[in-house]
Amino acid sequence: MTTNPLPQSPLLDATGVAKNYGAVAALRNASLSVLPGEVHALMGANGAGKSTLVKILTGAIKADAGRILIRGQQLDVRSPAAARRAGLLPVYQEPSLIPDLDVLSNLRLTGTPVEPFRAWVRELGIPDLDIRETARHIPLAILRVLDLARALAVEPDVLLLDEMTAALPANLAEKVLAVVRRQGEAGRSVIFISHRFVEISALCDRATVLRDGATVGVVDIEPGIEERIVEMMLGTRIEKTRVAARAANEAAVAGGGRPRLSVRNLQLGTKLNDVSFDLANGEVAGVFALEGQGQDELFAALAGSIRPTGGSIDVDGAPVKFSHPSDAIQAGIAYVPGDRAEALAMQRSVRENIALPFSAAARKWGPIRMRREQVVVSSAIGRLQIDTRAQGEVQRLSGGNQQKVTIARWIAANARTILCFDATRGIDVGTKQEIYKLLRELAGQGKSVLFYTSEMEEVQRVCDRVIVIFGGRVVDTFPVEEADEAALMRAAYGLPRGARADVGILAEVKPGSSAEAAS
Amino acid sequence: MKRHLTVASLLAGAALLASVGASAAAGKYTIGISNTVQGNGWREEMICAMKAQALASGEVAKLNIAHRNTDAAGQLEDIRNLISAKVDAIVVNPADPAGIKAGLEEATKAGIVVVAVDQAVTEPSAYIISNNQEQYAYLGAKWLFQQMGGKGEVLYMRGAAGASADSDRDKGFKKALAEFPDVKVAQEVFTGWQQDQAKQQILSFLATGTPINGIWTSGIDNVIVDALVEQQAPMVPVVGADNAGFVGQLSSVKGLVGAAVTNPGSIGGAGVTLALQILDGKKPAQQTVLVEPQLWENATDEGKAKLKGVVDPSLSPEWPVSISIPDWTTYTKDQIIACKGPGE
Amino acid sequence: MSRFLRNQGWVAGLFALLIFVFVVTKLIQPGYGSGDFGSLARAVLPYAFAVAAQTVVVIAGGIDLSVAAMMALTSVTAASMMNGASEEYALFVVPFVLAMGLVLGALNGVLIVVTRVPDIVVTLAMLFVLQGAALLVLGAPGGAAAEWLKASVVGTAPIPSLPDWADAWVPKALVLLVICLCIVWIPLRRSRLGLSIYAIGSDELAAFRSGVPVARTRIVAYALSGLFAAMGGLSLTISTGIGAPIPGPYLLASVAAVVLGGVALGGGKGGLLGPIIAVFVLRLVRTDLTLLAIDPNVTAIIEGAIMVAVVMFGAFITIRGRPVGATP
Repeated sequence: MTTNPLPQSPLLDATGVAKNYGAVAALRNASLSVLPGEVHALMGANGAGKSTLVKILTGAIKADAGRILIRGQQLDVRSPAAARRAGLLPVYQEPSLIPDLDVLSNLRLTGTPVEPFRAWVRELGIPDLDIRETARHIPLAILRVLDLARALAVEPDVLLLDEMTAALPANLAEKVLAVVRRQGEAGRSVIFISHRFVEISALCDRATVLRDGATVGVVDIEPGIEERIVEMMLGTRIEKTRVAARAANEAAVAGGGRPRLSVRNLQLGTKLNDVSFDLANGEVAGVFALEGQGQDELFAALAGSIRPTGGSIDVDGAPVKFSHPSDAIQAGIAYVPGDRAEALAMQRSVRENIALPFSAAARKWGPIRMRREQVVVSSAIGRLQIDTRAQGEVQRLSGGNQQKVTIARWIAANARTILCFDATRGIDVGTKQEIYKLLRELAGQGKSVLFYTSEMEEVQRVCDRVIVIFGGRVVDTFPVEEADEAALMRAAYGLPRGARADVGILAEVKPGSSAEAAS
Repeated sequence: MKRHLTVASLLAGAALLASVGASAAAGKYTIGISNTVQGNGWREEMICAMKAQALASGEVAKLNIAHRNTDAAGQLEDIRNLISAKVDAIVVNPADPAGIKAGLEEATKAGIVVVAVDQAVTEPSAYIISNNQEQYAYLGAKWLFQQMGGKGEVLYMRGAAGASADSDRDKGFKKALAEFPDVKVAQEVFTGWQQDQAKQQILSFLATGTPINGIWTSGIDNVIVDALVEQQAPMVPVVGADNAGFVGQLSSVKGLVGAAVTNPGSIGGAGVTLALQILDGKKPAQQTVLVEPQLWENATDEGKAKLKGVVDPSLSPEWPVSISIPDWTTYTKDQIIACKGPGE
Repeated sequence: MSRFLRNQGWVAGLFALLIFVFVVTKLIQPGYGSGDFGSLARAVLPYAFAVAAQTVVVIAGGIDLSVAAMMALTSVTAASMMNGASEEYALFVVPFVLAMGLVLGALNGVLIVVTRVPDIVVTLAMLFVLQGAALLVLGAPGGAAAEWLKASVVGTAPIPSLPDWADAWVPKALVLLVICLCIVWIPLRRSRLGLSIYAIGSDELAAFRSGVPVARTRIVAYALSGLFAAMGGLSLTISTGIGAPIPGPYLLASVAAVVLGGVALGGGKGGLLGPIIAVFVLRLVRTDLTLLAIDPNVTAIIEGAIMVAVVMFGAFITIRGRPVGATP
C-alpha cells in the first residue's frame, strides 16, 4: 500500500497495444507500466481484454500494434520461451505442468533449478512434495502452487499471476499472498490479476484498469478505492440504467405454492462452496457472475451432467439426484448452452433437431410417429418465428436462429424449467429481443427460467430477481428493480449491498443481511 | 491378487489348447503349408486341394496351415514356425522366389522336405511344382492377337503390381506382343487381382469411349464380361483364366469370343503329392516340375466342344474349373468342395 | 512401490504375459529351444522397428499411417542399391537409407506443421506417395543384400563371459534390435528433446506455455519415426535378401502393438519397452497358433481377441488402481 515517491523507470512498459480478431477488436489501446518492486493489479470486467493483454505480454500471441519495453529495451516477444528469457514469467489460471510427466521432468523441460524449486514449495506450504509424482495425479490446488514455485525458482524480473488464488483453499492462499508480497519487497515486480478486492487491497501498490480493450486509468491502491475502480470498469454506464418496465401481463406470477426448484447448500469440489436459492414457477431468475465463479458447475449440476459433492436439489419439493442429463430432462429441466454447437446436430435439419429430445428417449426407440412429430415441430417453429429458409442444415442458420432452435426443442418437449447459460452470446440485437420476449412468455405460462448472463443489461430486461455468485458462494440476491449496473458489478466482485466502505471483510457477508446501499 | 487370478485362468486356457493340439489323429506324416494371400478364390482352391489331397492320400496325419495375408518376411516367420512345429514336409506358395531362401534352406537343413508350388524359388534344395506363368500369358496373348487379325488396340489388365507371378506373366505377354508389331496396348492397368477394383476400372475405361479390339486379363475375367454386357459395349475378344464363371460365360454370353487359359489351383494338391512321394523315397528326376497351361477357346467348334466338357456351374465363379490334375491328384470333386483335411 | 507399479506396472504385466506365453509354447512343443527363439527374434525384427516408429509419433500425440510404406520404400532402395554392388558398398547404403528415412519422416512432420492438415490425412497421402515411389524403384520384388548384412541377423552373438548354453539364447537379431533402439532411444529419453516429445503429446497448450517449440518438436518426432521405419525397411531387406515394393502388414500391426504396449493413443504416455514386449507376445502367439495347427481362418480372430482382452484387462486394473479422494 505504498506509493513510489521517486519517479523510477518502469521495468515493463507496454503502450498502445492492440489486437484484432477479424473484425473484432480484443484490444484497442492498452497500456501497462510496472515499476521495479511493485505489485501491480490488472483489472477489468469480463471481455475488457485482460487475458488478451496477458497473452501478448507472455508471447502466446502477437500484438497487431504497440510497443513493449522491458528495462527500457524494445523486445519482440514471439514465444513463451522468448518471454521467459526476457525475465517475464506467467502463472496461468489453468495449470501448465505437463500432465503425463512427473514434476522433476517438468522442471527439466523448462530448465528450472530443482533446489530453489523445492525451497519455494516448502515456503508455499507444501512440506512433503514427492517430485517423482506424475503431474496428472496431483490435486489441482497443489498444481497451481507448483506452477508458482516453478516460476519463482528462476527468479523472474516480472511475475504475472492470473487469478492465482482462485482454486486454492484458504491456508494455501494465505501463504501464496505472503510470498507474493515479499517478492515486491525483494525488488521484483508482480502483475496480479484478480477479481478479489480483498487480495488486491492487501497486496497491490497500484492498479491498471481496462475497459473495452483500452486502459482507462492507473490508480494507487488506498482505502475506499474499489468504488472508483468499479466506476472505471463500468465507465459512463454508471449512470443508472432504468430497469425496463415490463407489461403487467408479463409480470411475475410467482409466489404461492412451493418452489419449482430448490437448491440448498450445493457444493462441488473447490468450485461451488455453498449455493442456496429457490426458483419459483412463473419466474425468470437471473444468475450474474464474473467468469469462473462456479456458475458453470452450478448449471451443470442442475442439468445433471455432473454430480454435486454436497447439498441438495429439490424439484417440486421432492429431493432429486441426477446421474445423467436424461434424469434432469425427465424432471422437466432443460439446458440451453451458450455454445450452440454443444446442443445441436449441426449437419441435420431443423426438424430433426427439434424432435430429437422427445424422440430420442430409449423407450421410444421404435418407429417415429412422423405425423405427430410434424405437428409438434411446426407449432414450435411458428411460435419462435424461426427463419426456416435454410432448414435443411442447422449450421446454415444464423446464430440467433440456431439458438431459437435449441429453445424451440424444449418447448416442443414441454420442459417446465429452462436453464439458459449465456444463451444470447454472439446473437444479433433483434433476435435477442425475441428471445427475451419468449422467455417472458414462458414465465407468463407458469414455466420457470434460470438465466445466467455475463451482460448486465440483460438482467434488467428479462429477470425478476438476480442471484449474484462470487467464489462459489451466493453473495447477494436482489429484485431486479434494485439491480442497477453498479450494484451488480459490486456484488459480482464480492461486495454486497451496504459493504462498500469496508474493504477486507467481504467474503463473510451473507446475502440479504444488509440494507440497500446508501447512495 | 487380481493378476494371479488371471494368470491362473490363462494357464487353464492354454492347457485346453495344448490338449486340442495333442489329440490330432494318429498317422504317418505332418505336412506344413505356407501361403501369403488369403481371401482370393484361386488361393482358396489351392488350399482346399492341399487338404483334399492330404486326406485322399491316407498318409497324412495332420496339416499345419499358415495361411494369411503377409509379405516375404512374414512367410519366413511362418516357415520357421513350421520348422519349430517339426513338420515332415513344407509345401509353400512363395511370396517371393528369392525372399524366403533363408527359411527354406533352414528347413532343408532340419531334414524337412520343401516343395514350392505355383511359383519357383531360388533355394536349390527345394522341389518346385508350378504352373508356367510366362507360358500362361504368352499362350493367351498370342491367341488374342491372332483373333484381332494381328493389329489394333488391346486393353492390358494385369494382376498386382510387384507380384512375381504378375511380372512373369508380363514377360510372356511382352513376348507375344513382340511377335505382333501392329498390336498396340491401349491402356495398362493393375487390377490387383480384385474383382471390384477391376470392374471399376473397366467401367471407367468404357466411359472414355476409347475403341479397343481385345482385352487380356490376368484372371479377373467374368466381371469384365459382365461390364461389357451391362454397358452394351461392342463385344471384343476377351482372354481370361479357367475360372468357373468365365468358362460358363464363354458358352452362354451371346457374341462373346474368348479363351480361358488354365491355371489350376489344384496345383496345391499336386504339391502335396510330390512332397509325399519324396518322403516315401521316390524323388523326381528333376527339381522342377512344370505344369503347362492349356487354352480353351470358343472360336472354333472343336474348342466349343472342349469347353462344354469342362463347364461346371456347381463351382464358385472365382474357382478355376480345373479342380484336378491328372497323375498328380487323386481326390474326388466332392472332397475338394468339402475342403476338409485329415482330422477335420 | 505403488508409483513404480503405476508407472511401470503395464510393462511388468506384459513381461509376465510374455513369460507365460513362453511357458505355454514350451508345453505345446517341448522341443522349443534356443534356435526357435532365434527365429522368433528374427520375425520380431521388422515389427519391432515398425512399432518403434509408430510409438514415437503416438507419444507426440500424432499417428503415422505411412510406416509400412516407408519401410517398403527404404527396403527396395537398399535392395536395389546393393544389387550387384560390392560388399563394402553396403557400408554406404546403410547410412544413406537411414538418412533417407529421417528426411522423409521430417517431410511428414513439416507438411503437418505447415499445412495444418490433420496428421492422419497427411500420412495417409504419404502412404500412397511412398508406395508409388517404391514401385518406381523396383517394379517387382528383387534386388539383393550384402552377405555381411544378412549374416548380422543369423545365429547367436558370441558373448565371451557367457556360458555356451546361455549364449545360445542371445540371437544376433535380438542384439541388433536392442542396439539400434537403444542408440536412438536412451539419449532421447534423457534429453530435453525427449521430454518435449512427451510434453506436446500430453498437453500441447501447456507445452507451448512451458516454452517448448511445438512445431519443431513435432517435426523431429516424425523424423525419428522415419528413421525407425528405415531401420525396419533395412531389416526386411537383410532378412529376406530382397526388397518388396508392396508394403507388408506392418501398419496395423504397429498400431496394435502400440496399444497393447501401454502407449496412450492420445499421446504423452508410455515408453518403447512396452510396445517391443508386445511385439514379442504377438509373434509368439502366432507361433503357438501355428504349432497348434489352428484353422488359419480362426487365428486372426484369436489374435484380435487376445489383444482386446489384454487391453481391457489393463484398463480395468488402471481404473481400479487409481488413487481415490485426491485432495490436498
